[in-house]
Amino acid sequence: MARLSYPLDNRRLVGIMFLTPALLYILLLVGFPFLLAIAFGFSDVTVGNTDLNFVGLRNYFAVWENDIFRQVFETTIRFTLVSQIFILIFANILAIIFTQDFTGKWFARFIFILPWATPVSLAMIGWLWMLDTKYSPIDYLLLQTGFLGPNGILSNSRNLFWLATPDLSQISVIFVQVWRMTPLATVILMAGLSSIPTDILDQAEVDGSRFMRTLLQIKLPLILPIMVIALLFSMITMFGDMTVVYVLTRGGPVDYTRVLGLYSFQVGIEGGNLAQGAAISLFAFPLLLAMAIFMLRTASRAEVQ
Amino acid sequence: MKQAIRLLMVVTIVAVLGIGIAAQGDYAEGTEISLLQWSHFVPRYDEWFDGYAAEWGEANGVGVTVDHVNFTELFSTLAAEIDAGDGHTIVEVLFSPASFIDGLHDLGDINAAAAEMWGERASTCQAASYLPVADTYYAYTHGYVPDPGDYDIALWTDAGYPEGPKTWDDLLEGGRAIFEATGIPVGIGMSPELDSRMANRAAIWSFGGSVQDEDENVVLNSEETIAAVKYLAQLQNEAMTDEVFGWTAASNNQGLIAGELSYILNSNSAYRSLQKIDEEAAANIGFTSALAGPAGAWASSHVWQIYVIPEYVEGDELAAAKQFILDHSANYSEATYYSELYNFPCHASTVPELDGWLEEDPWGSMPPNKFEVLKTVNDWSVHLGFPGVTNPAISQVFAESIIPNMTAKVALGELSAEEAVAQAHERVEEIFNEWRARGLVGGGM
Repeated sequence: MARLSYPLDNRRLVGIMFLTPALLYILLLVGFPFLLAIAFGFSDVTVGNTDLNFVGLRNYFAVWENDIFRQVFETTIRFTLVSQIFILIFANILAIIFTQDFTGKWFARFIFILPWATPVSLAMIGWLWMLDTKYSPIDYLLLQTGFLGPNGILSNSRNLFWLATPDLSQISVIFVQVWRMTPLATVILMAGLSSIPTDILDQAEVDGSRFMRTLLQIKLPLILPIMVIALLFSMITMFGDMTVVYVLTRGGPVDYTRVLGLYSFQVGIEGGNLAQGAAISLFAFPLLLAMAIFMLRTASRAEVQ
Repeated sequence: MKQAIRLLMVVTIVAVLGIGIAAQGDYAEGTEISLLQWSHFVPRYDEWFDGYAAEWGEANGVGVTVDHVNFTELFSTLAAEIDAGDGHTIVEVLFSPASFIDGLHDLGDINAAAAEMWGERASTCQAASYLPVADTYYAYTHGYVPDPGDYDIALWTDAGYPEGPKTWDDLLEGGRAIFEATGIPVGIGMSPELDSRMANRAAIWSFGGSVQDEDENVVLNSEETIAAVKYLAQLQNEAMTDEVFGWTAASNNQGLIAGELSYILNSNSAYRSLQKIDEEAAANIGFTSALAGPAGAWASSHVWQIYVIPEYVEGDELAAAKQFILDHSANYSEATYYSELYNFPCHASTVPELDGWLEEDPWGSMPPNKFEVLKTVNDWSVHLGFPGVTNPAISQVFAESIIPNMTAKVALGELSAEEAVAQAHERVEEIFNEWRARGLVGGGM
């Protein structure tokens, strides 16, 4: 027993043991594909020929000169930023609600986590039906309540064409992203709220602090680091996501909902130009890296204070 | 019996041609081939195909496995398998895989053998398997799917077109009249999806425009293309709703089946679906050939059934794969029959019954000659690169949905036709130059 327990008493060894699976995972499933994408971006590989002939920055210049790419880049940033605002607001509200005591709290939490737990492609097929250009149940309800149809309050048409008009298609995609990402951010914030020492909150109560004052001056500042982490997770996931628009709009109408991940796939895999597809996807990397460094520093500073 | 005779014929001719394909039963013990293909729109076809493949394997002493996936996964799977240097023996894709050419076997031998046995193939098939600039058959296209017009007979009869629209002008006039009278729109998509990409091309070709010329030079920005785009925008504004900007590939099928579209461009899939749930409603659907414009009547084939063999396949596995492909073509009557006339043969002579089936649909259409219009399909059904070939640049232009997006911008009033066509032309040029630099696209002089 003594022989067995000895190596496990070595903190360094145990640390390596715990870290190894995560490091292997990151190296093999994240690091290697990432390095491969960089290599592809500086070559002229196609789907049929993966010989790495170095072409310098040619792909990056070509991508930057492409008008569609610039619009796609802007759309990706806009979708990410707008949805993060809503995710942050909703996640804070919901985290506060779910950390209170009320009847049915566990069931409410379970229902609420479902959008995150459901496989994204399956969930998007559901939304595709809900937002169908012709047979949307939402349109049906609006039609039945007089909002649509002849002399309708919103439109004389029987449909709003959720995924077919420039404005509504963008609103729909942002809405679905918020629906999908809010549960994760909420769970992270709930963990943060639960970790606030109760003696601090008790002290505040004794001192006569009311709900809003406790929230704004105690809870939110204390969970700021974890809020930044939640935001970072959500932003990076959304920035690289293509599933939502791939299923819902395939980037349409025109290019209004085309995002980097989707365009990279369309050019690289469907169009066969693997090198440019890789270059398109890598354009986001410096931005995401800068964002991650900034946010992690912010979180770190907030923690120190 | 007929099948056995055909099989024997193929084996004999192939042996005589001496193209290096092992004859029946000559494969080393344990030889196996695997196929990856789409889950066919007609489930009955997959049942037939899987049984046929198993029988072929038993007869030839070869283990055969068939994997079916959604058609959207074919290209990504093929790319992954070529990159890995391992995977399926034969992959069937539905659009020209010209951009994969460097990772595929040259199938010139079996294309030559097929031409020797069954004569000329449909030009739409030839263009989806041969790349002139590389002088290589990168694929073997065994079938294609016509893309006729599907129209609501009652609505178009009331509008004065009992046989449906014959020209793009008819479509605008009749479609607008129907839309104004009933609220039921025409259904030509303008969305980033397959059917829209093909329907928009059909109009451009019929007006005399095209993405490239016969020599693979980009010629999109032309008066003819601009006229076609203006026409399509007018059609959308006057005879359609905004739904067409957000369609998926299934949307026009759904609309026709629900009786909420007066005309669509599609394969027989929407009709066959309707036939299975409401025969009376299905009887009200008619078919038209490609609509005529100022420069002719052209429509893209809907999809192509294209076999490729990745370069990692070698030895007896390769020989068996080539034999399988030729034997499959030799049995194309069954392929066409069990696909409910969805698959048309690239080599017409392999399905001598086809004209008879088009005159009297074996799957019970009312009237029985509903598909008779498809007897002329080879006169108007073309490929995506028409009038040139379908090269990797054409495939990328298709994948990026440049053509329907160009049209949609004008229909939405964002750009003039001239501006939208010039903008699209610029992007198409960029794509062509990329592939030309790799030596996979001709022209550019």
